[in-house]
Amino acid sequence: MNQPRPVPIKLAALLLLWVLTLALPASAATVSVQAPPDNDGLNLDVSWTESTDPAGWGVLRAEAGSSEWTLLKLLPGDAREHSDKVTTDVWNHPPADEYQYKVVALRAPVLLDEIEESEQVATVLAAGVASEPGTGSPKGSFIRTGLKSKNYGPLVMLLIILAVGVMMQKFTADVRAGKEVFIRRIPGIDAIEEGIGRATEMGKPILYVPGIDELQDIQTIASMLILGQVAEKVAEYQSDIIVSCCIPIVREVADEVVKSGFYQAGYPDAYNPRNTRFISSEQFAFCAGTNGIIYREQPATNIYLGRFFAESLILAETGFVNKSIQIAGTAEATQLPFFIAACDYTLIGEELFAVSAYLSKDPRLVSSLKASDWVKLFVVVCLIVGTVLTSFGLPIINNLFAISGG
Amino acid sequence: MRSTIPLVLTFVIGLFMVGEYFIPHWRYHQFTQVFLEWGLILAAAAFLLGLFNLVQVNLPKVVNKEEDWGYKLVMLAALVFTLVVGFMGGTDRLSNGQAYKWLFDFVFVPLNATMFALLAFYIASAAFRAFRARNLEATVLLVAAIIVMVARVPLGEDLPLVGEKLPQFMNWIMDVPNIAARRAIFIGAALGAVSTGLRVILGIERSHLGSD
Repeated sequence: MNQPRPVPIKLAALLLLWVLTLALPASAATVSVQAPPDNDGLNLDVSWTESTDPAGWGVLRAEAGSSEWTLLKLLPGDAREHSDKVTTDVWNHPPADEYQYKVVALRAPVLLDEIEESEQVATVLAAGVASEPGTGSPKGSFIRTGLKSKNYGPLVMLLIILAVGVMMQKFTADVRAGKEVFIRRIPGIDAIEEGIGRATEMGKPILYVPGIDELQDIQTIASMLILGQVAEKVAEYQSDIIVSCCIPIVREVADEVVKSGFYQAGYPDAYNPRNTRFISSEQFAFCAGTNGIIYREQPATNIYLGRFFAESLILAETGFVNKSIQIAGTAEATQLPFFIAACDYTLIGEELFAVSAYLSKDPRLVSSLKASDWVKLFVVVCLIVGTVLTSFGLPIINNLFAISGG
Repeated sequence: MRSTIPLVLTFVIGLFMVGEYFIPHWRYHQFTQVFLEWGLILAAAAFLLGLFNLVQVNLPKVVNKEEDWGYKLVMLAALVFTLVVGFMGGTDRLSNGQAYKWLFDFVFVPLNATMFALLAFYIASAAFRAFRARNLEATVLLVAAIIVMVARVPLGEDLPLVGEKLPQFMNWIMDVPNIAARRAIFIGAALGAVSTGLRVILGIERSHLGSD
């Protein structure tokens, strides 16, 4: 019956705490706070130095001069930095001028799941050794140059946009001065007018589908620009155009565009608002509705220009069965094979954006095509030079176009 | 004047929104967010106009008993029924046991899946036409497609002599020529998008506005 005397729990806990404290660094970590370069003014980078790893770190923040600390995050023991977003609601909680941060070197991992939010800071402070606070001010940049962060992508992009603008002005001046600008023939665009003529001869309508994406998508915008030209031609030929829309606001814009086209051609009475239709905002319901139009109204020409997804082939195959002339165009690389397989003509990628200029022959629009061709040449040269340089271990061009942190 | 105001608005707001990418400051971002929210509100309001358009297009055909008026009637009845059931369900309409949820799960989802499933048959018929070796390009397409298809099924790996090499060759086709072509399309399309965006923002492109 000579059992060992149980060690009191309190004594054991104190002993464990003493051992853990010995394991901690003698001096608390030194915290530094800096605003990252090219920043929105809502972020601060917190870093600290410490020679040994504790069980974990607790990162705390308070506004300068305030003693109301907030626990931001618990990090593993080998962490030495943390990026903090000081506010996510700038309307109700705009960022303060200055913030202070401190880190707590934890003796043992802390579980906060069952601890009240108001007690979390005290729990973390009691569980380790807190550093002296480091202070920093969030600084927002008014221009993203990327020079400090060596993230030159945005600057290069700005230069490309400016170059396109300058070249557009130059080529427009050239065209106005009588200089001829060569644009390669694009059969798909030529076929649009042929298709309208065919529909007129057959006494059947033309179906126009501007994709299924929102109005703010650049492909939908390009499609609306083309629709204006197509509607004008349709009005001149005294034919009918049905526009099938998947997004209500696209229908409203398409309706205005078609109306403008008919007015511009001098046939405002021929415009029929019932022919610009909202079908459904659901992808396959829209697809079924548009297929119904193809089967019932049997358009002679189907024009699919815009952003398409899985419905592309269903629409194009239905049009093929209906023996319509089909012209498609999209910059959506995954849908191009389907259109190429099922349509008579397909505008690939950039050709979609050239249609409006090609159809109008307006010198200012044509000059924009020329400008983007020159930039394309520049990109091709950069690709070739970049490939060669990178192969020799000099990723200069890669770094020039690198974009990080959006 | 009819096109001047839209052109000025497009220029000012377009340039402001482009600036968001180059001006990271949160105060600037605060205002671009407001514009984006206005856009969302406009888009949501347009749904109401879309509803009017559906009725405007389809109701006269039902009333006048035009060709295929029965389909339009079914569509309009479904529209009204779904709308009523949705309003009756209130904020709980998507909870289990609600009629609206039932409609979604047992009518809408199967119909959607049916349309999507049709794609398999359309792919088969389109592939049959696309893969006819009419010329050199179509023959290259056919050969590449056969290699990729055979390599992606278990049978391909069991083929004598070529079985082991086939998946490697398929990966090369997918990773090298395929990716190269896709990147070329992306770069061209991106430059075309920049050019189109500039044309619209600068007011050079006006075909969507008609004449004054």
